[in-house]
Order: sequence, then structure tokens, then C-alpha cells
Amino acid sequence: MDAELYLDYNTVIHRLDPRTKILLFVYSFIVVVLYEHPPWLLPIALLVLLHTAAARSWRNLWRIRVLLLILTVWSLILWNFFASGETHLFWVIDKESLLFSVARTILLLVMIISGVNLISTTRNEELVLGMIRLGLPYRVGFAISTALRLVPTTAASLQTIAQAQRSRGLDLDSGNILERMRKYIPLLIPVFITTIRSTNIFGMALESKGFGAREDRTFYLQLHSGIVDRILLIGGGLFVLVSLYLNFRGYGDIPGLTRF
Amino acid sequence: MSEPAIKVTELSYRYRGEKHSALDSITLTVERGEFLVVMGASEAGKSTLAACMNGLIPHFHKGRLRGDVVVLGRNTREYKVAQMAEVVGLVFQDFEAQLFSTNVELEVAFGPENFAVEREEIKRRIDESLAYVGLEAFRHRPPSTLSGGQKQKLAIASVLAMHPQVLVMDEPTTDLDPISKLGIFQITNQLRKRNDITLIVVEHETEEVLHADRIALIQDGRLVKIGDVRAILQEVDLLESLGVMPLGIPRFFKAMGYEELPLTPDEGVQAFQAEGWRLDDQAHQDLVVADQAAIAAHTEPIIQCRGLEHTYPNGVKALHGIDMDIMAGDMVAIVGQNGSGKTTLAKHFNALLFPTAGEVLVHGRPTKEQGVFKIGQKIGYVFQNPDHQIFSDTVFDEVAFSPRLRKLPEDQIKQRVSEALAAVGLTGMEEEDPFSLTKSGRQRVAVASVLAARPEVLILDEPTTGLDYAEQRGLMDMVKQLNEKGSTIIFVTHHMWVVAEYAQKVYVIKDGKVFLHGTTREVFAHEQELMEASLRPPHFVQFSNRLGKTILTPDEMLRCIHTGA
Repeated sequence: MDAELYLDYNTVIHRLDPRTKILLFVYSFIVVVLYEHPPWLLPIALLVLLHTAAARSWRNLWRIRVLLLILTVWSLILWNFFASGETHLFWVIDKESLLFSVARTILLLVMIISGVNLISTTRNEELVLGMIRLGLPYRVGFAISTALRLVPTTAASLQTIAQAQRSRGLDLDSGNILERMRKYIPLLIPVFITTIRSTNIFGMALESKGFGAREDRTFYLQLHSGIVDRILLIGGGLFVLVSLYLNFRGYGDIPGLTRF
Repeated sequence: MSEPAIKVTELSYRYRGEKHSALDSITLTVERGEFLVVMGASEAGKSTLAACMNGLIPHFHKGRLRGDVVVLGRNTREYKVAQMAEVVGLVFQDFEAQLFSTNVELEVAFGPENFAVEREEIKRRIDESLAYVGLEAFRHRPPSTLSGGQKQKLAIASVLAMHPQVLVMDEPTTDLDPISKLGIFQITNQLRKRNDITLIVVEHETEEVLHADRIALIQDGRLVKIGDVRAILQEVDLLESLGVMPLGIPRFFKAMGYEELPLTPDEGVQAFQAEGWRLDDQAHQDLVVADQAAIAAHTEPIIQCRGLEHTYPNGVKALHGIDMDIMAGDMVAIVGQNGSGKTTLAKHFNALLFPTAGEVLVHGRPTKEQGVFKIGQKIGYVFQNPDHQIFSDTVFDEVAFSPRLRKLPEDQIKQRVSEALAAVGLTGMEEEDPFSLTKSGRQRVAVASVLAARPEVLILDEPTTGLDYAEQRGLMDMVKQLNEKGSTIIFVTHHMWVVAEYAQKVYVIKDGKVFLHGTTREVFAHEQELMEASLRPPHFVQFSNRLGKTILTPDEMLRCIHTGA
């Protein structure tokens, strides 16, 4: 019913230029992949969470809490299979590989939270326009935003369809994993069909409104870049530069770690 | 300068993979500034014709095109859809799928932006178009928060902003409540008075097309007849045979042996009085007594709502204290504006939703104690869109889904499926692929699949939406038969004539409360209150109200009339 990702608040972050928000998002990706030792990632994680707090995007994180929890658990275990160290603890887990798993989990969470921050505070059109002003072709930007738009509409139809099948006696909450997967078939087929149908109408509506009629197009939306944008971009840029430098000097690695 | 707006010559079209042509040698000319309505049964080719006007056919859909469509000098074969969009605007039936922006302003700006209109001019056009459809106050709202009628108005505004010279609307009012429908038609009517815009509207609702200039009737892809609105609407029998609903007033006057038939309530009242006819008090009283008796015969409560309130997790309160009693054997209509809470209410009956305050009792026990799985055996719910539930390869499997889930033996399943299919008139279709059926066929499969659980109560959410008149009648006749055999029926609908002809009891929901309820006749007597709830009785009932007595159908009136002779 209420599946919009954009949260319509008026926070400092919401008022930022979408270009700033996209670049901050990119910055967070760059710095977070540099280090493999958890303490080095903590400042980055902290900054990203600060961003979340300022943007009040908690609500969207809360919505995907189950997903985040599953990813965290899996990531904490799985990365141990891809690394080893000198101090064996138990099973496949060494002290070094455990640290590495924690770091990779932080990385994963930072990337997701950063993405959630971006889409919770930026309208679709702003995102497209921001990407275009940053040099992406219009069609590419539009395609990305269309994909994002599919998330809430698909979630809404999934909800209706689940209700329709439950009222026919489908019980989605019991049985083992295999049984449960079979039970989802009555949901998935109608979801695919309605999604394809509405995407089709969407395509027709787009063309009927002259999408791609000309090479050039104008934008009603205007982007305003202010002093806060500049401070954040420069501050963030410095942070990236320092991080790159420290990484270059060899900081942030886990001694004794072997990655496969 | 006498070049027509639209010239269609020998137009035929067959979708790829189909055996039959969707359009078959259609030739017609629409003059500039004209308002043409296209009517016909489902699958007659109306939407296909609309899609030909802006080049979606042949450029978007795949198939074989013959003949030509020339709109303001542009042949659709030679111009892409996006290029046609500069002169032809198209509004679709599905208002959810055609809106994609995050606020109203940006939705309207999208078209002009594509044609590189200057920003200042776009701003002016946003103001102009939103004012035209009356949505100025909503310019910063996300479209998803608008009501159905407002969404469709926005879709129209977003097309008007491109300053089209031809506006094509494909069933723009199908999913709307009566007053929202009226709102859309007021806009069309405003547009009609402008000479710079040519209108083509595909429509099911006969009452709404009176303001058009001409009507084109289509059957099996062929143009059966095109002519002046009044002349076409007088052809009661022809309309009925084409699956188009004839107006009740001319139907009545035709039965009275009239030749020049009145069409509107005003004309009807005038003609009625000029003839010196009267409505018989006793005959009318008999109708009222019969209504009461039908309801009084049902004494065993099945579903009871006591102070039912529902607040969604996002804080929106949809129901504000509903009290109602549905008795075994009732045939109840629930009506109200888009977004009034009808569907939320209906979903409480089979425990899809639970009250956040108050309670809903089924057979005297709260739904909370029973749960949807258990209640689902007693109360079946048919969703509005059959495509939200169909997933099987064959009709048999689809209908057998519910009994199989309830682990019935195979011979019982077979028996239930054949019973259910017989009830909806689909016997012999067991091995068909449900996806290959028409919308009304799929709707019937959906009803059958719910009937297979042998529920005592059948809830239908907008069962007639998207069906043509003949299909609507067919479906409701079938539902009525189920009711006569003992099923309790609850249906949610926007179609007032369906209420007039099929419901015994009506609940009018407004802003999450029961606003009016009673026998259908009692409720339809309150025209003013209905208006406040965005509802409006059919023309025929309005006509009878003006004569001082609420009469639901032409047949009833024939029983009550005194010709004075």
C-alpha cells in the first residue's frame, strides 16, 4: 500500500543538490573498499550513519531490517571461507579471517545504507537530473530511475496478490523451505503478469508523451547548489584523498591475512 | 482549411499471433473540433482503434496493418509515436500505470520537456493545465496520494500540457465512482466547446456520452454504424445487441410505443407529464412492501460489524466505527467514492484485515479468533482484478486450487470443480488456458475458483469493472442465481445500474462510515445525500424520483403506470 522509497521530509540532506548526494554516495563507495581492518572502517560507518540520522532515513532501514540481518549473519560466516590467518580460533574461523569478515560486513552495510540514504532523500526526477548533469546520458539516467520505480509498484501488487491467494486458502507461513518455495508460485506468476502488463502501459504512456521525440530536451526541475553543498563536497573530497593516501601507505590491512 | 482532423481509410489490423483481425476495413473521418465517442462490446476493437490514432499501432504493438490513418496531415506509418505525440494526446484507462512522476507538477512537465519547451513556458502550461482540470491545490503532492478521479484528471492535464490538437481517451472513467466520472466528463465537455481540439473518447457508460457530437458503434473490428448522438441512442435494440448499455429512459418510452424517444431525465419528465400519465400509488406501495418482505425473510446474521475501526500501519484511519449486519441470504451492495473505505471494509469480512478497534463477528464469533484460513471456507472473496490470482495452466487446476489446499479427495475435487464451472457457465472449458480467456472469462474463472470452496458468503470486489454491458449482465445474472440458491452475496461496485437492478440492500460508505443504508429503493430515493457521497442514481431512477416515486427499472415502471386511458 505504502511502498514509496522516497521519504518526503524537509531535512538538510533533502535540500542538498542531488549531484552532491550522488557524489557523497560515490565517495562512500570509494573509501569503504580501501580498508580490510574493521577499526579503519568505523569512521566511515559513523559518517554514513550520521548522514542517515540527518536525513531521517531510519524508516527505510527499519523496513529492510530482516534483509540487513540476514546479510549480516551470512556475511560474517561466509567471508571466513575466503580468507585465512595465523591465529586459529575454531572451525574455519581464524582471528584474522574473522576480522576480515567483520570488515566486509561493515562494507556491505555501508554500501546498502548509503544507497538507502540516497534514494530516501532524492526524488526520482532529481536523481535522473543529477546523473545527467554529472554527465550520464538522459536515457541511462531514466532507465535507472525506472528500475527504482518498479520496486514500490511491484511490492504493492505482491501485497494484493498475497491477499488474494490467502483468501483462497493459501497458507504461506507453514511448511519446510521446499514447501514454502512451492507455495510462492501462485504469487510469482500473477506478479510477473501484472508487472509486465503495467510496464507495457508505462511504455505506451511514455511514448505517447513524446519520450525521445527529439535529441534535446528541457528540464522543469532546477538544481541549486549552495554553500552546504560545497562544504560537503570539499570535506568529503578531502576525506577520500586522505583515505587514498593512507591506503597507499599501507595502513588498514590485517597483518597475517591470506585472501583466496 | 477544410482538411479533416482525422482520416481513417480502409484500416485493418491483426495482432501478431492472433487468428482474427482486431480491426476490419474501418473508414471514418473526424472533423476538427468534433467530439466522437466510440462504443462497442469488449474486444470489439475500440482500444485498438484508439492506439492507431497516435501510432502506437503500428510502431509499438506488433502486427499487420493495412490502410491508413492520417492525423492532421501526419500518416501514422511515417511518424513515430513520440512525434505523433506533438499533435495527438492519449489518455489510458489504467491511471496507475500511466503516471510515473513523484509530484503532480513534474508529471505535467514531462511531456513539454520532451519537446524542449522553455522552462518559463512549461511553468505557464503547468498552471494552465492544472487549473483546467481543477488540481491547482495538489501541485506538490505525489500522484500516488491522489484519489482515482484525481489521478485520471492529472493524466488528462499531463496530456493537455503538450497542447495536442487531438485528444484520444481510452475508457478514462472505467474505474471511477459516479461523481469522479462526471468530473472527467465535465472536463471533456469543456474541451468540446473549444474549436481547437478534436476529441475521441472510447466509453462504456451511455449516460455520459450525451454531450458528444457523434457515436461510432463497433463490433468485431467493423464499424457498424456512425451517426448523430441522439439518433444512435434512440436505437435501443441495436445498442443492446452490440453489448452497449441502452439508456433506461428511451427503453421505457420505447416499451410505451413512443417513436421519438426522450433521452435525459428532463426530457423524460416532460414527455411523461405531457402525456398526462400517472404512477399508481398502490402498485408502487406493493413494490415497497415486496422489498421489505425480501429483507425481512432473512433473519440469521452471518457477518456483524460492531464499532469497526481500522487504522493502517502508516497511521491512516480508513474506517471510523462501522455497524452493520449481513443476514444469510442477503444480496448486499456496498457503494461509495474511490477511497471511501469500501474495500478495506470488505476485507474485514473474510479476516484479511482485522479491526484495530471494535469487532467483526462471523457466525457470532470474532474474526480475530478464527483467522483467514478458517473463515475462507465460509466466506469467499473475489478480488477486483482476476489477474491478481490466476496462475495455473488450465482452468481445471485454477478452480481446483482451493479444494486441493484443503486436502479434499480427488473425486470430491472433480465434483466441486464441475459444479463451480457450471455455476459460472464455463462447463467444458476445463482444459483451456485461463490466460487465453477474455477479461470476463477470467473473471468467471476467478469466481468459480472461489465457489469451489463452497462458501456460504461470496464477496465480489467490483465484479463488473472492465466488462461490457452484456458481460456485466451475464455475470450479475449468474451471481443472482447463486443468491437465489441460498448464497449470501456482498458486492462492492461503482456501477449504479447494477445496484439498482440486482441489490436488495445497500450500504453507502463515506469517509469510513456508514452514511446511508436501507433497501435499494430507500437509498436511491435520497439523491441529495448520495451526491454528497459522490454517488448518483442511474438516469432512469432520477427520472422516477422526479415523478415523485423511486422506481428502479423500466419494467417496474411499466407495472406502476396509469396512462389515464
